[in-house]
Amino acid sequence: MAAVVFSNVRKEFGSFTAVHGLDLSIAEGEFVSLLGPSGCGKTTTLRMLAGLEFPTSGEIEIGNRVVNDVAPGKRDIAMVFQSYALYPHMSVAQNIAYPLRKRGTPLAERQKSVAATAELLQLTELLNRKPRQLSGGQQQRVALGRALVRDPKVFLLDEPLSNLDAKLRGYMRVELVELHRRLGRTMVYVTHDQLEAMTMSDRIAVMEGGELQQFAPPTEVYEEPANRFVASFIGTPGMTLIDGDLSRDGDHWLFQADGISMAVATLKDNASPGPACLGVRPEHVLIGEGPVNGVIQVVEKTGHENIVVLELSSGQRLTGRVPAPQSWRPGETVQLSFDADHTHVFGPGPRGIRLNRDGVSAGKASAPPLDIANANTPTPRKAQS
Amino acid sequence: MPTIRKIALNVFAWTIVLAVAFPLFWMLVTSVKPSFELFRRPPTMLPETWTFEHYWHLIERTNFLTYFRNSVILSTATTLVVVAIATLGAYSLVRFKYNGRESLAFLVLFTYLLPSVVLIIPLYLLLVNLGLANTIFSLVIAYTTFALPYALWLLRSFMAGIPEDLESAALVDGASRLGAFWDVILPQLLPGIISTALFTFILSWNEYLYALVLVNSDSARPLTTGVMNMLVSAFNIEWSLLMAASVMMSVPLIIVFAFLQSYLTRGFGAGGVKG
Amino acid sequence: MPSQTRTLLERRYAALGVMLIAPTVVVFCSVIVYPLLSAIYLSFFSIFTPTLEGDFVGLGNYTELLQTEVFWSSLGTTLIWTVGTLTLQILFGVGMALVLHQNIWFRSLARSLILFPYFISTVVAVLVWKWLFNDLYGIMNHFLISIGFIDFPMDYLGTMPNALISVILVGAWKYFPFVVIAVLARLQTIPDALYEAAKIDGAGPIARFFDVTLPQLRDVLVVIILLRAIWDFKEFDLIFLLTGGGPLRDTQTLPLLVYQEAFALNDMGKASAYAVVMMAIMLVFMLIYIRRTRTEDGS
Repeated sequence: MAAVVFSNVRKEFGSFTAVHGLDLSIAEGEFVSLLGPSGCGKTTTLRMLAGLEFPTSGEIEIGNRVVNDVAPGKRDIAMVFQSYALYPHMSVAQNIAYPLRKRGTPLAERQKSVAATAELLQLTELLNRKPRQLSGGQQQRVALGRALVRDPKVFLLDEPLSNLDAKLRGYMRVELVELHRRLGRTMVYVTHDQLEAMTMSDRIAVMEGGELQQFAPPTEVYEEPANRFVASFIGTPGMTLIDGDLSRDGDHWLFQADGISMAVATLKDNASPGPACLGVRPEHVLIGEGPVNGVIQVVEKTGHENIVVLELSSGQRLTGRVPAPQSWRPGETVQLSFDADHTHVFGPGPRGIRLNRDGVSAGKASAPPLDIANANTPTPRKAQS
Repeated sequence: MPTIRKIALNVFAWTIVLAVAFPLFWMLVTSVKPSFELFRRPPTMLPETWTFEHYWHLIERTNFLTYFRNSVILSTATTLVVVAIATLGAYSLVRFKYNGRESLAFLVLFTYLLPSVVLIIPLYLLLVNLGLANTIFSLVIAYTTFALPYALWLLRSFMAGIPEDLESAALVDGASRLGAFWDVILPQLLPGIISTALFTFILSWNEYLYALVLVNSDSARPLTTGVMNMLVSAFNIEWSLLMAASVMMSVPLIIVFAFLQSYLTRGFGAGGVKG
Repeated sequence: MPSQTRTLLERRYAALGVMLIAPTVVVFCSVIVYPLLSAIYLSFFSIFTPTLEGDFVGLGNYTELLQTEVFWSSLGTTLIWTVGTLTLQILFGVGMALVLHQNIWFRSLARSLILFPYFISTVVAVLVWKWLFNDLYGIMNHFLISIGFIDFPMDYLGTMPNALISVILVGAWKYFPFVVIAVLARLQTIPDALYEAAKIDGAGPIARFFDVTLPQLRDVLVVIILLRAIWDFKEFDLIFLLTGGGPLRDTQTLPLLVYQEAFALNDMGKASAYAVVMMAIMLVFMLIYIRRTRTEDGS
């Protein structure tokens, strides 16, 4: 059963189109991230789901009910804002109790729920404080508490961690995953941080220019990026992309660029010879021996591995990742090759589509796509009172 | 060296400040001097004899208290009406989308700058035709012509300063638009409302032209025209009495000013200059 | 805007928004828009104020007005008054703001005292100044004689050019605090880092004023000048109460002329024509100001 469905949803602001005919179906209990650079339409999408923006056309369903005409408060959703949006004149307790008050929950029950939520988020000591007396992390937990307190069908989170420092962010990531596992509720999470999306999500919806680029589990987005944009956006350091030409000799495909000529694995039937792009992740650049010459430019030591930036004779730069310790020095000329089983081939243009056969180049041919329902066995839904 | 420069700067600054404030000091001093002392030459800087007889005189033998009461009623009524209408209007202008919203905001700004003398003739005719001339109510109507655009413009910038996320959060939490307005926006807007109300009150309290044209009976006359009338109609100008009247007239402003200075400067910045 | 199929919710919100603005619109139309339009309408008539009866004269009022000497001299006086008092307000206001921005003793008290002339009623200000200007017992004459500036008591409001100068000075005294507050508010937002950077680059206090302070104040000064020019141009109370336009008509500005024509000479049609022409002149400044604030809103 789908918890959230976007059907051909389009949003225009005047002459600017923020979202182009989005189709997206999110399963019950799933944790989905909307990931993309700023201005890609992810926040607009979330706000339309919340009822804070209105789609120009198309339909949005929550729990098999079309909600286009339903007020935000009646959609059975809760939302955590990037700015937290805590009510400054209310205490922490009043902030958390507000959604219950608006639903007419009796006082006694309200107090019980607030106490339980505060307990869960370790806010009990802070209940009488005003938001401005709290640290950023505490404010964040209050915002979360306000969303948790009424057990909504869908949680919407708009970059909730972006105002925290790096350490707290790492901690909250784990907390949120834990929370999701415990509650088993659908969560839609907007972020521009691929690390958050990769570590927390069941599936990631990568967006760019108001269009959905790929909607798949994190591993698949990483290993089989649907197009050149996704390939370049996901992964740090980024995938090296080399423009060149594709030629075909029977069943064998050959990729050629300045100084590079290599056979690539089986491509899709609709692949055709012509301009194309070769993508290699840093871990699949094999330094030491091979047909290609490169000069080492920079060696970044991260402790357990080294990131090596190389320049080929054509001027093309590429990034490799090798386990530490290594003794490469800048200026050194090395031989290198690419792991042919793990190269990616894309059509021409900034959104050139992936030409590799599914599950081949990633070396995961046999693994079936992640089954969401079984992947993270959500706890059975609590009976609603 | 720095101390000498500091002292010089302070002396310089305070000389100017005191020179600017001197007329107000002189007003106070004159109001507590006995009449005969006024005509002393050279003038006495501080009164040799202090007296409050002019204040008693003002209250007992003139219409001052009636004027004062009229001004209080007039300014309070204008402020309440204008702030109530403008708060709703500013909320609508800032947080809603409908056709004509932009042109309306333009019209507000335009009327904010419009000279009173353009409106006064038709307003005079209108109020005479409605049989409202010579009433406090007619002045409340007339005062909205300058107070409403002003209050709307001020409140609009205060409203724009409230994060939109707060309202969004309230909506998601189950509030209606008006519910969110009441629960979240109004409490946040309160300092802005207070400061707008103070400014509107001061504007109405000090208004002269409409009062001059629309009211010519003592029962409805506010302080500005009332006190001016005392000057014009007196056979012998009693300066002490007029200065006492000026002081009394300024007392509400001094109170407003002293206690709520922070609100005042806030409103000043928001409306006057940022536009 | 293309007509879009809006959702029910969106339409409901829009309807609520219209409902909330409705009281404003009603008040605006009845006390501002309607009088404004009828002022223009009235200017095509010749109306006798006491009976409120009149005849249609078309553009007669306007052609007559442009040939009247009084109109042109009033316009000239208005311009002299506006430029004179505005210049003093700006110079004195900016200077005072710079001084009050320094860390002087009892700074907040000094600020309150400076602000006061702006907040008191024009009636109070005029009464006080008339008393200061009093020919026999006024402290102004006493002071100027005792420092040897003049030998005999002066008539400040009854002769020219004294009257116009006095009006301009009192206007500057009453309204310069507006400039002080606005500039002070802007001064406080100039980051200290800018001054420190200029210091490191070797700029002295004067260079720092011209290279750091003044450019930062530029935008706010333009807005202040526009706003004050509009307000000074339409000033009625101060001049009317101080001199009544006299001696003769030497300090009569356009707003006073409108009042005079309507309520003393009893010709409301002609007065309306004066008012409309005056508004047309102001419109230039108003539109510049409006355009400026709108572009600021947009960014």
